[in-house]
Amino acid sequence: MAVDRLLNVARKEFSDHITSRRFIIILGLLLVISAISIHDGIENYNNSLESYNEQLQRMQELEDPYTSWMPQKPSIMFVFISMMSYMTMLGGILAIAIGFDLVSKEKETRSLKSLLSHPLYRDEIINGKALGGVGALGFAMALALAIALGLLLIFSIVPTLEEFAAILIFGAVSLGFLLAYFAVALTMSTAAKESGNALIYTLVIFFAVSSLLPMFGAMAADAFAGDPPEMPEMPPMPREVVRTSSGGGYFVSTASQNVVYGGADDPAWREYEEEMQNYIDKRRFINDISNLLSPQMNYYTVAIAVTNPQIMATMDAPVPYGMAPEEKPGLAEALGRVWMNIAALIVFPSAFFAATYVKFMRMDIR
Amino acid sequence: MIRTESLTKVYNGKAAVDGLDLEVGEGEIFGFLGPNGAGKSTTILMLTGMIEPTGGRCLVDGIEVAKDPLKVKEIIGYLPEDVGFYGNMTGEQNLDYFARFYGMDARERKERIAKLLELVHLDGVTQKAGEYSRGMKQRLGLAQALINDPKVLFLDEPTANLDPEGVREYRELVEHLAGEGKTIFVSSHILSEVREVCRTVGLLAKGRLVAQGTLEEVARALAPSDGDAVRIVVETRERLPELEDPEIISVERNGTRAVVRAKADIRDRLTETLFLEGLHVREMRIEEPDIEDVFMAAYRR
Repeated sequence: MAVDRLLNVARKEFSDHITSRRFIIILGLLLVISAISIHDGIENYNNSLESYNEQLQRMQELEDPYTSWMPQKPSIMFVFISMMSYMTMLGGILAIAIGFDLVSKEKETRSLKSLLSHPLYRDEIINGKALGGVGALGFAMALALAIALGLLLIFSIVPTLEEFAAILIFGAVSLGFLLAYFAVALTMSTAAKESGNALIYTLVIFFAVSSLLPMFGAMAADAFAGDPPEMPEMPPMPREVVRTSSGGGYFVSTASQNVVYGGADDPAWREYEEEMQNYIDKRRFINDISNLLSPQMNYYTVAIAVTNPQIMATMDAPVPYGMAPEEKPGLAEALGRVWMNIAALIVFPSAFFAATYVKFMRMDIR
Repeated sequence: MIRTESLTKVYNGKAAVDGLDLEVGEGEIFGFLGPNGAGKSTTILMLTGMIEPTGGRCLVDGIEVAKDPLKVKEIIGYLPEDVGFYGNMTGEQNLDYFARFYGMDARERKERIAKLLELVHLDGVTQKAGEYSRGMKQRLGLAQALINDPKVLFLDEPTANLDPEGVREYRELVEHLAGEGKTIFVSSHILSEVREVCRTVGLLAKGRLVAQGTLEEVARALAPSDGDAVRIVVETRERLPELEDPEIISVERNGTRAVVRAKADIRDRLTETLFLEGLHVREMRIEEPDIEDVFMAAYRR
């Protein structure tokens, strides 16, 4: 494979994308919504900051006896939480829009035969197409982040170095999510004879992995984990621990039956606790496994870890204590907790790109 | 310049091209004839390195295509049947995209493209290729096939979408390119088209080469066998009498006209006999098989 030929294909594909009406319209919509939600996010951030300052001031005035408790300074990453919801919808549509007819259109217009008659290998064509698409999505993502950063600066909010790194990682994760659907669309475009069919197949997969899969995951968890263990007789008062977090249309909740410590000396009760913990772990494991196949769920999980590491730490804390740790976890630590989701975000598009590659190399071009 | 040895391509257990042995010399204009579905396009795809043969091999300018397709593509040009382009780009932009694969610098590309667009009468056309008529696309296809100034040119049904004026220009262009020493391989199912431009032909039917040579040689080879007999057409002004000659096998008479089957060409003796009997000879010729009829019969076989 020669780099110059690969880049020639990629350059042409990139240029086709960024000048196509379809791309410009969807990108425009994405950027406008992005700007609006970032603006709203900034307002929320400013309000939180104001309330934080008031709390600080009040504590100083009262010479607060609760010296161990300090209000938490809001992070500017809250601003980016709102980006997640429309990124999964509009971003997904953008990725599908640029990928679903990349190969099928060439088959329909017969330009592929003309192209293949010139000295270049098939893998240079398909890799060039993929590279051009990745470049166009990267360009879209860079524009969205540039607008967000610009708005932050306009409102005199200057990110720290760690926040800036988090913003870049958020961009990279969002790009990874877009690539997942771009890869699906490209595969379908290679497999289908017509662009219309390629689009339908892509949308079917899009809805299957974004909606059906998490639903099936929950059903499978119910089916495989079985019934929760029976409580021993005369149990201590049960306490339901419900932890929720929300942001920009994303809502996650974990609920579990648990107990206050106090009856821990009772062997029956201890056994029940262990069984309950196993039951919860089992359910969570099955659910997590099925969610790993969904780019949406992986994206949500990783993006939450980047934008709000505290929530992730709270969710991962041992169930009986179910509270956020005192120390705010760092970005690296938060990412470490979601390494499987990060890996899944890389593996998902890679698998589809590999399928595209194999299919394209064997494609009948008569 | 072009050689195939037992070239075979099998699709789903069925041979599209079956043990094809073909040879085309340098500078020839070769017509590859055959009905639709005979395997002409499949053969061209193998010769241009776009698909791999199931068996046998093909060579262009001594290079085995399956082993080094890129090297072959650098010296050939190919005009596919129903050629397609990128509809969002102008003809010039399409050609520029293809030209970049040959390592030409910007100035070289610009000069070459301007020359080719002028050659196919598309210079000054600014509309996008998606808005081109089929004839314009065909002409742009010819230009893209010539972008690298190829030694060998493969043209698959080149006149399929051209109007009469376009066909005339195409013929002139092929003659001009042949004059430059290029080898031209024209695939077509239209005999009249091949007849106009090609010096040698090969006839393909059901994936097999039925005959190869000049048109006359192929026609003779394909003509229905009549042993070694010669068919002589005779016509006189007066009613024909009985014809007698030891070489005559049979005579089909019809008033003033007859078709004589003889063991040898006896036209001189027949003319003399008729003259001595006071008859006026209007026609005396050897009946050659009609090429169209012969090819049609071969197509139907």
